[in-house]
Amino acid sequence: MPCMRCMQKEREYRYPVGAIVTAVVAILTTTLQGVVGDFPVALFSFPLNIIAMMLWLVSLTVIYRNRGTSRLCRVLMSRSATWLSLLVMATIGLVLGLQRMPSSASWGVVVGLLYVMSHLYLITLRGMCATGAVRWRFTLLHLGLLIALGAGFWGAPDRVQLRMAVDGRANNVAYTMSGEAHTLDYYISLKEFSVRPGGGGEHMQYEATVTVDREDVVLRVNHPYSRTWAEKIYIVNHGAQPAGNYVVVEIVIEPWQWLSAAGIVMLIVGAVLMFLRGPRRLNGDV
Amino acid sequence: MMLGWNIFPFMAAAVVLLAFAGAVVAFVRRERSGGAMLLMAGAIAIMLTFIAMLWLTLQRPPLRTMGETRLWYSLFLLVAGLFTYGRWRYRWIMLFAAILATVFILINILKPEIHDQTLMPALQSVWFVPHVSIYMFSYALLGCGTLLSLVALVRGNHDLDEAIERLLYGGVAFLTVGMLTGALWAKDAWGAYWSWDAKESWAAVTWALYLVALHMSPAITPRRPRTLYVVIILAFLALQMCWYGVNYLPSAADSVHAYNQ
Repeated sequence: MPCMRCMQKEREYRYPVGAIVTAVVAILTTTLQGVVGDFPVALFSFPLNIIAMMLWLVSLTVIYRNRGTSRLCRVLMSRSATWLSLLVMATIGLVLGLQRMPSSASWGVVVGLLYVMSHLYLITLRGMCATGAVRWRFTLLHLGLLIALGAGFWGAPDRVQLRMAVDGRANNVAYTMSGEAHTLDYYISLKEFSVRPGGGGEHMQYEATVTVDREDVVLRVNHPYSRTWAEKIYIVNHGAQPAGNYVVVEIVIEPWQWLSAAGIVMLIVGAVLMFLRGPRRLNGDV
Repeated sequence: MMLGWNIFPFMAAAVVLLAFAGAVVAFVRRERSGGAMLLMAGAIAIMLTFIAMLWLTLQRPPLRTMGETRLWYSLFLLVAGLFTYGRWRYRWIMLFAAILATVFILINILKPEIHDQTLMPALQSVWFVPHVSIYMFSYALLGCGTLLSLVALVRGNHDLDEAIERLLYGGVAFLTVGMLTGALWAKDAWGAYWSWDAKESWAAVTWALYLVALHMSPAITPRRPRTLYVVIILAFLALQMCWYGVNYLPSAADSVHAYNQ
């Protein structure tokens, strides 16, 4: 255990040092953004993202195991670090929310999220070992957020989003959002398309029957077709009616989607417990 | 459509009368008053009846436009006031709820939002009603919490801390569930749980600020109450941005959430 004098010194230096480190990181990420552009997300596709994630988890676990002597660990798990991580989240939202074409792959967002997740991982480890009536709630909320954020962050390089205009002819060439062609290992063609009109000249709903890999499936808004456990096909647009004879589909391949869903469900359960149990805290300094 | 909005001023008058009657009775009586709760329950029942009528007339849940969401906001403010009064016996809470609900009712009367009956395809989802209703309920709880924080800040004492903390916990719990049901819906509708769209970014700002407040609350950090009040007020301002302020930003031009523009 650190002595009281050391802890006092840490408290004295925590805020200025924290402010300096935050300012240096902000300047570095802004400079990097200006010089090299967005973070090269695609470079970290499978299996490099798994390796990087494992290295990150192992490093943090080693830091956590030495929490009794590691000043870095104590600073990373401090209350100030919690507030800083939440303010980082708010700042990321604010910066992206004010931009017309926000990029979640900017260096600032990547470094900020990595910091938030690092703090979250360490305090989740500590909270899971704590006792008290709200331990499960704490674990569900913090681990759920960590899993949801982590799946989005580490899974981003593996996420593929393609669009394809589909008409009566079988087609297997889709395009990324930046316009690069991508050949699918199956064909899609349009069999039938209908629009249900509503009042005021708007569309109540549109529906397309498409043949995907020799199987007929119905696509509607909010009702995508799950081709595999990792791949879904959405209808996103259609040709002008009544002459329109094509639809635009979006193919999303996201192997980490179920991990994201698991994190979200954990968070929901934790939030329900938070409402039911009200203001309580864990035993110990968590 | 005609049936619903045409009779709204009359039903709203009854709602406001009953809500204020209940609020005044609750404020005057020292003990918890069953009569006050009954009056407030009556106001809620009338509001609920109007929403149900509007729902039937429109043939869709009335949750699409700003006017319709304000309707739910009025309802859930009254529900939150009644619930909080019944559970924790704060005699002034129903008065706060009644005043806030009246503000939104008046906005609806003075600036009626008339819309066509078509619910656009993206809104035709099982997530629609739970997502918006849960958000509305959280707004109501957090609205009450903000008012109490303002009062505490002006008064300079900590009599209201317990109530503020409970409203904060309840409100943030619902805000979290509302945001996450939105994420699950977004995956079905657009293929991504989270895409940092303008609305989503402001939702993240709001949530993060409320989490700051939560981590500053007496149960977790038993000090800095004045800072806590200020953070709660700032978070509520961010919530207003997320709710409707974002529609006026240039970044909202490409938003997939622009249903009411």
